[in-house]
Amino acid sequence: MKMIEVTESRERCAEAGWFAYDMIFDEPMEKTFIRSLETIGESFVFLEMLKAPFFKLEAEHYMIKGVQGERFLRMAVHGDYPEELERVKGILENKAEGDKMNQ
Amino acid sequence: MIYLNNAATTYPKPQCVQEACNNFLQQPPTGQFRSAFDESVPDIFTECRKKLGRLLGIKEQKRIFFTSGATEALNKILYGLGIPASRTIVTATEHNSVLRPLYNIPSIQGTPVIVPCDRNGKVHPEELERYIKTDSRALVVNHCSNVTGCIQDMEQIGSIAKKHHLLFIADISQSAGCIPVDVDGWMADAAAFTGHKSLYGIQGSGGYYIRDGISFRPMLFGGNGKDSSTLLYNQNIYEYDAGTQNGVGAAALDAGTGYLLEKGVAHVQKEEQEKMRYLYEELSRMETLILYGSAEENRGPVLSFNLKGLKAADTAYILQNSYGIVSRAGLHCAPLIHSCLETGRHGSVRISISEQNTWKELEQFVSAVWEICRAAG
Repeated sequence: MKMIEVTESRERCAEAGWFAYDMIFDEPMEKTFIRSLETIGESFVFLEMLKAPFFKLEAEHYMIKGVQGERFLRMAVHGDYPEELERVKGILENKAEGDKMNQ
Repeated sequence: MIYLNNAATTYPKPQCVQEACNNFLQQPPTGQFRSAFDESVPDIFTECRKKLGRLLGIKEQKRIFFTSGATEALNKILYGLGIPASRTIVTATEHNSVLRPLYNIPSIQGTPVIVPCDRNGKVHPEELERYIKTDSRALVVNHCSNVTGCIQDMEQIGSIAKKHHLLFIADISQSAGCIPVDVDGWMADAAAFTGHKSLYGIQGSGGYYIRDGISFRPMLFGGNGKDSSTLLYNQNIYEYDAGTQNGVGAAALDAGTGYLLEKGVAHVQKEEQEKMRYLYEELSRMETLILYGSAEENRGPVLSFNLKGLKAADTAYILQNSYGIVSRAGLHCAPLIHSCLETGRHGSVRISISEQNTWKELEQFVSAVWEICRAAG
């Protein structure tokens, strides 16, 4: 799986001082990829019981959430730490490519 | 897709609104106040004013002016009246379209007096009266909360405003079209509405009413096709419709208002209240769900809730991406009410219906919330 695009989300979260981006992949996100994200946040939630399972991880300056089976996830970065976007994007790209290698 | 974000913008619009937009664009543009193409073709602005007057209880229909929405309307009202924010009373339920102009318009900016509401979003008139000071000059009240759907007693509040010689400004953005409004009956001096919510107009339409005889300075000056040789307005006699007006917006608003006059706002309200009662009953059975209000107290087509263990934004994200249900999360541009609701900086999930929503859609929504409760619980 590869990340093919990062766009500013239409749901900007700007009201709370956060800025959201949508990261789009070339394939739907699978459980292995989602589970691999568990290590990069401070808290991780994965509601596997849902028909379309929802996941979310939170760290001090960013937050990521998405739904298994979709081709995109949303990342929100606190306005004071914009550099986190590029750093976490790199991690996600590596995880996504690793996901494919693991399959 | 199930659309439950009608408090932001109603969708779908009635067929007649879609046709009105199309028809308007196919007609040659008739000038506003000048070069009327065909006398037999009614001027859409005048027609729309007449209908709005009937629907909103405004006899002085000529004193209804069109804007791009309630935000522009409220900015123009607050700027035009020129009353300092510190001498203006507002409620905790107000939208940022009221609060931000008061805090930021240079000629009036300051901190308004804020009357709190209870946990349903209700402002108690007797408590409101206690906030009126000897130098208070204006009172702004949101008729229906866009967060909890609570409807304020505008008649009683209007009486209090008159008793204390306050200018009474009614924000009817959320109620116009789905809850009976009676601007004259409330003795309101001004009212602001938007077109794209329950009036079924399009985004970028709305307007305001300002009672004749009130000192009121326009925010915008420019051409309007009337007496172009006058450059300086004397004796505070102004015109308030500078620039080319939004014709297609007025056509849509005219059609939407006509649809509501035919159907009857009371009928719309009854239909929506039955559906809201169902939602309140179903959601109140869920142990991990916090509801802000009840069907008895909150009679507008809007409700707010949160699920324990999930932030409002996450619940809305799941609804949208796992179930195709459009809701809205956050503060809903009404930041002050959240301290009364104790919803904090993350706000609430808001569901808002229109009479176009079907029972099946609501049942699907309830079923989705049950599933999310079980998964998150």
